[in-house]
Amino acid sequence: MPSSSSGVLVRRILREAGIGLALLVMVLFFAAVAPSFTTHENIANILTQITINLILATGMTFAILVGGIDLSVGAVMALCAVIAGTVLKQDSLSDPEAIGLGILASLLVGMACGGLNGFVSSFWGIPAFIVTLGMLNIARGGALEVTNARTIYDFPDPFNAFGTMSLLGVPVMFLLALALLGIGWLVLTRTVFGRMIYAIGNNEEAVRLSGHRPLVTKVLAFTVTGLFVGIAAIVYMTRLTIANPILGIGFELNAIAAVIIGGTSLSGGRGSLVGTLLGAAIIGVLANGLILMGVSDFFRQIVTGVVIILAVILDSYRARLSLRG
Amino acid sequence: MDRRTFLTGCAAGGALALAPGLASAQTKKPVIGLVMKSLANEFFKDMQEGAVKHAQERGDLTLLPLGIQSETDIDGQIALVENLITKKVDAIVIAPADSRALIAPIARAVKAGIKVVNIDVRFDPASMRKHHIDIVFVGPDNRAGAKMSGDVLAKALGAGGKVVIIEGNPGAENGVQRKLGYMDAIAQGKLDLLDSRTAHWETEEANTVFSNMLTAHQDIQGVMAANDSMALGVVKAIEAAGRKGKIKVVSFDNIPAIQPLLQDGEVIATVDQFGAQLAGDGIDAAMQEIAGKSLTGWTKTELKLVTAPGS
Repeated sequence: MPSSSSGVLVRRILREAGIGLALLVMVLFFAAVAPSFTTHENIANILTQITINLILATGMTFAILVGGIDLSVGAVMALCAVIAGTVLKQDSLSDPEAIGLGILASLLVGMACGGLNGFVSSFWGIPAFIVTLGMLNIARGGALEVTNARTIYDFPDPFNAFGTMSLLGVPVMFLLALALLGIGWLVLTRTVFGRMIYAIGNNEEAVRLSGHRPLVTKVLAFTVTGLFVGIAAIVYMTRLTIANPILGIGFELNAIAAVIIGGTSLSGGRGSLVGTLLGAAIIGVLANGLILMGVSDFFRQIVTGVVIILAVILDSYRARLSLRG
Repeated sequence: MDRRTFLTGCAAGGALALAPGLASAQTKKPVIGLVMKSLANEFFKDMQEGAVKHAQERGDLTLLPLGIQSETDIDGQIALVENLITKKVDAIVIAPADSRALIAPIARAVKAGIKVVNIDVRFDPASMRKHHIDIVFVGPDNRAGAKMSGDVLAKALGAGGKVVIIEGNPGAENGVQRKLGYMDAIAQGKLDLLDSRTAHWETEEANTVFSNMLTAHQDIQGVMAANDSMALGVVKAIEAAGRKGKIKVVSFDNIPAIQPLLQDGEVIATVDQFGAQLAGDGIDAAMQEIAGKSLTGWTKTELKLVTAPGS
């Protein structure tokens, strides 16, 4: 009998490769039908355009792996952005101080909202779906209240400059998202915290019976989701050069879609950030390529929906495969 | 990148074979990208269809109409502009989802030699100055339009008339301008403003919001709605409260669904901003710019007050 660990590895590579192959086919198709698709400028565009969703989806992967979900990320992102924006506009602060404190404020607000989501849902055993739906409204209302529905603008130039920076032709914001994904991957695969997330997602009761308390891990997992929302808010602000309380509407759905297309199971415990990266790339390539082809927006939405459903069908086959293995 | 180097090389070599290719490139029709807001909104859908028809009638350009998923999808609109820059279109006609956030990508388009015309919602002048661009705006004066509509209500009620405003999306520039126009009419007509709230341009929400207002203020005599969709919801609430004919409504947009209410006199005025022609006007301006004319400032488009036959 061949070593079972290499068998697992092969299966895992096949699983990842399936999504990778789908992405490759898509890229080749668009390259063939849309001449400007493969230009350097357009590839830089795609990387910029998937950055925000990639950051949000990386955070979302933590919430979903632990058996939860976070529907509040778009609204919390708006709350983070308007609070950071308010800090950035304090005249008493110098530019570096304002930028530093603004970023800090955004991260703290994101972590607080995420941590609260995790605590309420696991302490009282309420489905995360409901708790985060409540948080969605709290954060959106909070963002409107803070700003009185007004747009905040005119941030310091060095802050806005980040949104268009590039290194050797690659957008810096994408490199940041990639680095964050790498760190997240290390945490999930190489730390006790990461293994606990998978364990709870797989069988929370077993974790409890073995003498561990899932509560702390679950709260931390949701806090990580919130941290990534805080980071995404800052990056998004540098791209828009404004902050307003209605930004990020529906972003949670794109982030969840990227995670699911990437092969992470909605019931938790199974999936990886490599898949999330591929999932976000598929959504971004699809949107960009269909625009370049001149496909109508309504049809674009239909295609995205079909891809999500196909991904879940694929996932059900995979689940059966790993049960048998 | 490679292709450009190759072409430059050929041109430098004076390759005769390329001459016909160059000639046809010169006579090629200019490509104009039309960047709209949500095409799920009938107003923008009409505008887009008007633009496509207008482009066909002109016949001297290729139009690429593009829209975003929802009114608030600013990022999606920035992505559209970036993609059009990559496509190296000749001009962009844009109805911005935000009057400031779109300035940076539009400035990049201008830098790339693309002509830009702004329609529907005007770019923030201070932000334009910061980016050293001056883009022509082709569009209606929403404030003046709302003032015309509000004046009809002021005249109907007389000084001291008690009114409420149903606002559009908070932060949406045309919504802000329409509210200002209504406020102008209230100040001039010495009306009494009881309350002013948003219903996010939506019929259903306007129905709820106005019903609640009516509970709080039994003595409302008039309503100023920032668009017709919301006026529809307001009229339903008035009928449900059994106050039909006692509360007068003025509005904005002149959509088909408002016509029967105008006939009935439940809505006494609305304003037509000829949305279907707006993008066409923008395309005409873009073609002038491509021909070498430099346009700046505000080209005001037509507004028409539409009143109930009886009033």
